[in-house]
Amino acid sequence: MVPEITAILEVFLFPGFFFLFFLAFFIEWLDRKLVAKFQNRYGPLHVGPKGILQPVADFIKLLSKEDIKPAMADRVPFVAMPLLLLTLAMTPLFCIPITSSYALISFEGDLIVVMFLMTLIALLLFIGAWVSTNRFSTIGGVRAGLQMFGYEIPLNIAMIGPAIGAGSLSISEIVKWQSHGLWFILTQPLGFAILSICLLAHLQRVPFDIPEAETEIVSGWLVEFSGKKLALIRLARNFKLILAASLMASLYMGGPSGLWQPNPLTYFIKLVICVFILSNLRALFARYRIDQFLAGVWRYLTPLALLQISIIQVLTW
Amino acid sequence: MKTIKIPFGPQHPALEEPINFIFEVEEERVVNVKLRLGYIHRGIEKLAENRTYHQNVYLVERICGICSFAHTTCYTQAVEELLGIDIPERAKFIRTITAEMERVQNHYLWLGFTAKEAGFETLFMYTWRDRETILEVLETISGKRVNYGMNTIGGIRRDISDTMTEQIEDKLNHLENRSKYYKKICTKEQTILKRTVGVGILKPHDALSLCAVGPTLRASNIPRDVRADEPYAAYGEIPFKVITYKRHDVASRILVRIDETLESINIIRYALKNMPKGPIRVKVPQRVPKGEAVSRVEAPRGEDIYYLKSDGSDKPVRLKVRAPTLANLPSLCKMLIDVNIADIPVVIAGIDPCIACAERIMLVDTKTKKRWIWSGDELRRYACEWYRK
Repeated sequence: MVPEITAILEVFLFPGFFFLFFLAFFIEWLDRKLVAKFQNRYGPLHVGPKGILQPVADFIKLLSKEDIKPAMADRVPFVAMPLLLLTLAMTPLFCIPITSSYALISFEGDLIVVMFLMTLIALLLFIGAWVSTNRFSTIGGVRAGLQMFGYEIPLNIAMIGPAIGAGSLSISEIVKWQSHGLWFILTQPLGFAILSICLLAHLQRVPFDIPEAETEIVSGWLVEFSGKKLALIRLARNFKLILAASLMASLYMGGPSGLWQPNPLTYFIKLVICVFILSNLRALFARYRIDQFLAGVWRYLTPLALLQISIIQVLTW
Repeated sequence: MKTIKIPFGPQHPALEEPINFIFEVEEERVVNVKLRLGYIHRGIEKLAENRTYHQNVYLVERICGICSFAHTTCYTQAVEELLGIDIPERAKFIRTITAEMERVQNHYLWLGFTAKEAGFETLFMYTWRDRETILEVLETISGKRVNYGMNTIGGIRRDISDTMTEQIEDKLNHLENRSKYYKKICTKEQTILKRTVGVGILKPHDALSLCAVGPTLRASNIPRDVRADEPYAAYGEIPFKVITYKRHDVASRILVRIDETLESINIIRYALKNMPKGPIRVKVPQRVPKGEAVSRVEAPRGEDIYYLKSDGSDKPVRLKVRAPTLANLPSLCKMLIDVNIADIPVVIAGIDPCIACAERIMLVDTKTKKRWIWSGDELRRYACEWYRK
């Protein structure tokens, strides 16, 4: 009886749904506060101590708002898109080891599943933009699709690098390999840099917030989503941020393993460090143009990612 | 190749004020631009005809929130020319100092705004934070942060004391460092260069033939500046450089403005040091003799021109304002041709548009060439009927 209860608690409380929701709001607060500090602002301040409950307040506020569907929009996919997006953003998190070296779901090849789900998210953005039939969201959706063509290949190559090093396609195995070896950030720094840049593009954050460029195309693909849908999309975005930071932490920094036994606290500290890196990058740059982004990615990032893979191959051979 | 028409504005987050562009786009390139004004007309020129010369000082101050001092300087100069009086030397110097401070705050505001258009939020936050410094200086000398109320016909209203001078000196040093820092960012930071170099080209001969003014013209390598060409206030006695850049693009517009803030800081320093003692204003009569006057001032955005006609009473017969944005709009249309869609906001921001200053209305029937005048109520009735349709 006890193992079943533990399993249920793991899925629903820790490190399952409840913990992930808590983490999502915390990470949003952390990100907003960090970027505000870099930009010499205060950031969230009033709800809760140091404004820590501001993301929750925003979420509830959006939930209580009027739900508008454009008359021309394709109803079913338009309503389903935020739900699907949230699900797709949350699912890969179950493959990330948080408490111990093993994740809730871990099998040989779960890294491939995570990559696949991340690609599906980008496709879903395109579909969501297309069915909302707004001029700006159509441009935003096309840009999101184009951006995916650019960053996807170097991103996946950068995620495969540690897999080759550890000799396994399972995130848990990669974490376990690092717990009694070197972290991959030390042996493959180039791969880590490429991963960070591509994740920024995946998260659509400055300098790669091209699909939702507010001053150009009025927040692009999400312009028609409001109320509850927007709340879900924002939550999904937080999950995407957790996923990105967790991937950086697990694949390149050894996840929950550290000096002591693998524990959630180590994971949490590494997660905060990775969010710090992503937020810092976000505050540093201006926005690229879509053609400049694609040219840059194909001209520099992809060859560099391939170079990193070749170096690993030569070294392991 | 088929072109697509994309409307931009009147409501758009990249625009502070309502203006409408219709872009004809071929793939991602703009091939033709149509511009439509008329969303934010305020009727200030007509209002000015119903008020006395002294009341109008406060009215023209409200034409533009950012370059309010340039407008009052231009207006008071025109009235002083009609009255035939010469204002005290000290007043001229204080006018120069305030005008240059206004230029600094405008250029900081503009730099942040342009950075935001290019998606660089951090630079926006930094410049607007540093802009507070110059606003504090303006508050010390005038008591207000915008619409300073410094100018009056026959001089200025508030003097700059020695304690103020010391405070100003500290803050100017800080601003000088910040300007140098921003210049370094805007010449080194790759993402800014990618978005601005070679974008929105305006060749010198186009700039001249389309009557561009101000920093937009100087960024096309034409050294034209009312302060140097036809000195007013105390500019004739203060040495300064007219900044030009050779690249004709948005990047050079940014650099021209940053260098102008540095130059303005030098002007303020020189003026504070060499300011003569004496009265700050002369008493002027209520009624202005019959005649016409034209006054020119280099506002932060470019050349301001005022035409004033008097019939000998205490109210002007006609006040015509040509704000710099109106002069820059034709060259803006030229710049926008052949840019990428994503670069449109940056190029529009490049001329530092202030649409409300540029709006005028003339009612003409295009078929019969008949012109007429409507009162505000009639205009409102027409608008209500138009929207009911």
